[in-house]
Amino acid sequence: MGEIQTETVASSRRAPSGVVSMLARRREILLLGVLLALLTGVSLRVPGYLRNNYMNILKGGSINMVMAAGMLPVLLIGSIDISVASTLAFSGAVAGMLMRDGYIVSTIGMVLTGIAIGGAIGALNGVLVAYGRVLPIIVTLGMGYVTRAMIPMDWLLGLNKIARINLTDSFKVFFLDHYRLGLPYLVWFAVVVTLLTGLFLRFTRIGRRVYAVGSNESAALVRGVHTGGIKTLAHAICGAASGLAGVMWLGYYNSVEKTTASGDEMYVIAACVLGGVAVTGGYGKITGVVIGALMIAMINSAIPQLNVGNSMITEFVKGLLLLAAILLNAGLRRFARRRELLGRRV
Amino acid sequence: MMKRLARSAGGLLRWETMLIAALVVMCAVFDRQDAARQVAGLAKKDVFNPAVVIKGLRPYMLYSFMTLGIMLILAMGDIDISTGASAALSVAALGVVYQALTGAGIPGGLSLALSLAVCLLTGWLCGAVNGWLVTRFKELFAMIITLATQLFYRGVAYLLLGGKTLTFKNDAAFDLLKRLYNTVQIGDVSLPVMLIAFLAAAACYAVWVHGTAGGRRVFALGTNPKATLYSGIRADRVKFRLFALCGLTGAVTGVFFVGATSSSIRADAMMGYEMYAIAAAVLGGFSTSGGRGSVPGVVLSLVIFGVMKIGLGTLYGFADSMVNLSVGVILIVSTLLPNLLTAAGDALRLRKRRAQANVSSRALTSGSI
Repeated sequence: MGEIQTETVASSRRAPSGVVSMLARRREILLLGVLLALLTGVSLRVPGYLRNNYMNILKGGSINMVMAAGMLPVLLIGSIDISVASTLAFSGAVAGMLMRDGYIVSTIGMVLTGIAIGGAIGALNGVLVAYGRVLPIIVTLGMGYVTRAMIPMDWLLGLNKIARINLTDSFKVFFLDHYRLGLPYLVWFAVVVTLLTGLFLRFTRIGRRVYAVGSNESAALVRGVHTGGIKTLAHAICGAASGLAGVMWLGYYNSVEKTTASGDEMYVIAACVLGGVAVTGGYGKITGVVIGALMIAMINSAIPQLNVGNSMITEFVKGLLLLAAILLNAGLRRFARRRELLGRRV
Repeated sequence: MMKRLARSAGGLLRWETMLIAALVVMCAVFDRQDAARQVAGLAKKDVFNPAVVIKGLRPYMLYSFMTLGIMLILAMGDIDISTGASAALSVAALGVVYQALTGAGIPGGLSLALSLAVCLLTGWLCGAVNGWLVTRFKELFAMIITLATQLFYRGVAYLLLGGKTLTFKNDAAFDLLKRLYNTVQIGDVSLPVMLIAFLAAAACYAVWVHGTAGGRRVFALGTNPKATLYSGIRADRVKFRLFALCGLTGAVTGVFFVGATSSSIRADAMMGYEMYAIAAAVLGGFSTSGGRGSVPGVVLSLVIFGVMKIGLGTLYGFADSMVNLSVGVILIVSTLLPNLLTAAGDALRLRKRRAQANVSSRALTSGSI
């Protein structure tokens, strides 16, 4: 939250000059710079890397990006959701089962079902957090166990996994084989979801209230914001995005089982943190989240092609990058604040 | 009289008492089911008796050492989700160093001792890095720092092992680790080595945490960090040490894990153990917002989870997923219930006070007229 305060103070007096404070305020520029530097480095090793791989990066990153866009409002209110990967698997599995049994035939129906199931799980998380006063990490940890455990249950799905043969032909080709403006529908989903989230948070009254609750909850409450409702809504959005991601997963890989996407919630949060979202709530932009998700997708696609000898270096680089990003962010913020204080004293 | 009754009722309502009651009820239910299965001819002999259960607890007690470390982090109001990864890294270091030392012709026993030292040191270092980052960058949440180090440690483990599985088959010295998973005969009962080690460690922790000034500081730090700092406690030093200790307990878990999985070492081992540990600590009475919890509660909750897994698995034939479902539900309910009770109590008290205020104000107004 500190950012917004310092930003307003700074702009009301005189904007602190200097590259560092500019970078601290506009973190996306720095991120974009790091992304371009990575890309240049990879392109030097592997000529023509971007031309051959841009589609793989976008396809591989779109599911993570949808979930990260949903995670953004949750982080903005100062909460966290570590059940997103389980929600993905659960809604993918239930939607797949409904298609197998012939209840849903159309792809639109699948998408809506995924969003509804995920949204319901997210809303339940939100109610427990906002009205049950349980800490978000405990709620979502428990919910993650519960939803993932329900996947292989006989009475629920009837079999252990949803496979290719359970899906209709039109669904199987929908996400990857239909193109518009040169991009497959899978990527378009990510584009639409991020755009919608960004516009919602930036321009609607409720979206601004999400920031308000995250910045200072009691102030928002005194100001007449229904904080419990906003929190529930933020969690419901996150769940809905994960539910949609579950259907996208089914469309991309054509299978969902109980271990699907297990552990991916960490990469979703990592994308947000790389994108400069403050987990203390109140600060974060969708552009940063998009860049963060792209960065992770690029590392996933680039490192196997670098021929560094040890294919397992991907995990190492991801961890190193995330660690460097959060420390750099913190360092920049400190430096900017110190500069600002010095400027004020003069 | 009423007050004394209320006080003793409060004692009964202590969290540990409820946990004991839950354990007893669970055991009784499982015992009945066991007897019913025998009568129905589904089972030849009873499978739910103390000897079997104590042995069966082993696979579910692997993360117990880690829980001891994590619970104190929770008591400070922080969280550490990198312990599973740092344990995997310590174990990877153990395997790689042992391989290198025996490859260099050093006798097995000596290399095992050296590599065990390296393993514990690695765990301590991982925790120390967490602690350093958490105390150095206070504006960042411990959750985010340990998320980053989790990916990082796991990545280093992958890098060390190169994605392969290290196994030491028929290696006399390395097989000593397997003994950690065996049982020892004490009198008439055979107890798992791991259980004895854990109970000893838990006893030390209980004395330290509840009986010494150093341990009370941890809770003070979780209740009010500023007041703790102003009362002259080196908060950062305490925090750093506890994070390092948490890494060390992770490494200990790792050593037992190697013994349990017959000496195979993989980089993706112990995935999600930190979450099990957090769940056990929370059921044991620790809160992620800090300041509360007790060691006996955690021991009880670990036993409850273990017995529940054994009972649901062997007596009811439920798969792992059903057990995980119960873990999730218990986790949410056990934290939700106290909150609801407090909220209801507050509402009741408020109502009473309002009623009293109404009465007195009415008396005042009627008196003045």
